Amino acid sequence: MTWILWRQYRAQAAIAGALLAALATLLVITGVQAASQWHSALAACAASHTCGNLSNTLFLGSHTVGFLVIMTLGVPVVVGMLLGAPLLAHEFEAGTSQFAWTQSITRRRWLAAKAGWLLLAAAAMGGVVSGLVTWWSGPNNALQANAFNPGRFDIMGIAPVGYAVFAAALGITAGALLRRTLPAIGLTLAGFVALRVVIFSWLRAHFMTPVTSYFPLSRGFTPAGSAWQLAAGYVGANGQPISIPQSTNGAVMGNAGGAGIPISSLPAPCQSAAGNGPLTRATYDAVVSCAQAHGIRGYVTYQPAGRYWAFQGIEAGIFVLLAAALIAVTFAVITRRDA
Amino acid sequence: MTWLVWRQYRLQAAAAAVLLAGFAAVMVVSGLQMASQWHAMLGTCTTGGGHSSCEGAPLGSTIGHDFEVLSVMVPAVLGIFFGAPLVAHELESGTSQYAWTQTITRTRWLTVKAGWLLLAAAVWGGAVAALVTWWSGPRNALYGNQFQPNYFDVQGIVPVGYAVFATALGIAAGTLLRRTLPAIAVVIGVFIGVRLFISDVVRQHYIPAVTSHMSFLSTPGTLARSWDLASGITGPNGQPLPQSSSVNSFNGVPLASLPHACQVLIGQASRQAMVAGDRCLDAAGYRVYDVYQPANRYWAFQGIETGVFVALAAVLLAITYAVVRRRDA
Repeated sequence: MTWILWRQYRAQAAIAGALLAALATLLVITGVQAASQWHSALAACAASHTCGNLSNTLFLGSHTVGFLVIMTLGVPVVVGMLLGAPLLAHEFEAGTSQFAWTQSITRRRWLAAKAGWLLLAAAAMGGVVSGLVTWWSGPNNALQANAFNPGRFDIMGIAPVGYAVFAAALGITAGALLRRTLPAIGLTLAGFVALRVVIFSWLRAHFMTPVTSYFPLSRGFTPAGSAWQLAAGYVGANGQPISIPQSTNGAVMGNAGGAGIPISSLPAPCQSAAGNGPLTRATYDAVVSCAQAHGIRGYVTYQPAGRYWAFQGIEAGIFVLLAAALIAVTFAVITRRDA
Repeated sequence: MTWLVWRQYRLQAAAAAVLLAGFAAVMVVSGLQMASQWHAMLGTCTTGGGHSSCEGAPLGSTIGHDFEVLSVMVPAVLGIFFGAPLVAHELESGTSQYAWTQTITRTRWLTVKAGWLLLAAAVWGGAVAALVTWWSGPRNALYGNQFQPNYFDVQGIVPVGYAVFATALGIAAGTLLRRTLPAIAVVIGVFIGVRLFISDVVRQHYIPAVTSHMSFLSTPGTLARSWDLASGITGPNGQPLPQSSSVNSFNGVPLASLPHACQVLIGQASRQAMVAGDRCLDAAGYRVYDVYQPANRYWAFQGIETGVFVALAAVLLAITYAVVRRRDA
């Protein structure tokens, strides 16, 4: 069986190998450049004590390679469409399943060998691409501290392995159910994109209960490391969030998550402390201490940086479990179907 | 023939219509929300003069934004499902032998099939682009970024050109490779490659860019809605100074390449010293420059980009005709 599979898929394997080699060459060359740029910038800013605003002034790598790295988001679904979907559907379409299913090898073994090797290949491809991207992004992650943010999280670590295995399993199952390649490709594309969007937009933030930190207005607060910030704002003495109008042309104070609180939203005594003219250092301090006396605090809701790998594990686990369920469905369908 | 094409593609047409309806529903709901948010904002922040006080305000919903980003791949999907199987599937399943031995000539067969499918792709691409363009209206008004790469690519008429090109690419790849699956792979690879090459390398040269030089002392003019390509400092001889992303830089130029007297002033934190630094650079003949494509070229660029992709599609179709007419049934 393994030999048959190799014969059936050697062209695909050669093309995938060539594409991976090209990607690896590009990322290794530009990654080494970005790393040396990063190290020299670190040395320069340490000498002049300006490392604090490095993330605003330094740009690592090139836009084109950065865009290519973002495009690796599509690798799992392409694997599912081009390798997963035809795995069974093409056998049905070409009628070769009738031949394959009347040999001494049982259908179960036939399917186990085919699906097993393909899922392994998908996991390997997802893992190699993700490994390259993770290494390439190292200096940028250190600079921007955004590895946990949506979009970045999805192309690094072990999550892409889970996506690739799931996409391949979805393609195999779609082919087994629809028995035609093109509809199976369509279902793989739509199903994969829909599930990824749902998990990414709504579910991921709730994998673990987020942490909320409160801080006094007189000093700001930024979660340490590459934390994933979910919400930020201000609460009053009763612990209720203060609603902040979408925009304002008045003076603002504080800075939680980039948004200030308008002085017009403060209790009346603090508004009068601001006076009528433009804010000076003294009136600003008076407003801040007045607001603090009224129990107003800032808050940031976030997933701490230390949970990064737990989230990667949960995300990859969800997709691998879904893949296992799909493969179980495929086995049930294939073993019951008439040849 | 038209009836035959309809029978062959009615399932795809129905699936495409359902998906488009779903897309439209999400974009209309999210777009109306965003528009009312924008009107509420206009009431409060334009009074302060300009839109500047609204900048940075969040606008729109996550799901609308996700759909806007995903719409960039609609042309490739049309190429995969409408274009690639058009000839390849007939050759694979052997139905071309039947189709090509009827009274209808191969040229007419291909013209009707390809014609309807290209029209469908153009309509679909145009409908998605129209929804995204309307949805982006408030954001374009607030940030004026519709000329920037990525935003430019999903609005206006260019998505129609992309859709026609991707479909023609699928038809040509299927005709040359004679198998659907490799044709689909070629559509994905070539479409992304051509799009990236044109948007990253070619697009900025459609019309020579405008360079404006400004004194350090003048208040910076706004380049709203334009497409900024580069900016920096020119030296006393009028030549741009080499740039580097090192930490000790000023407007992208390393401090070391500026006159020493001015360096001392620029390096200081106080407002007065910075103004003095600007004066010092101005007196030494240094100027700020911006290279950009002005905002009023937006539709010219949309037209050129669409034209490029439609022309590429025409070339691919010419190849398809030549191959189909010469091939043995």
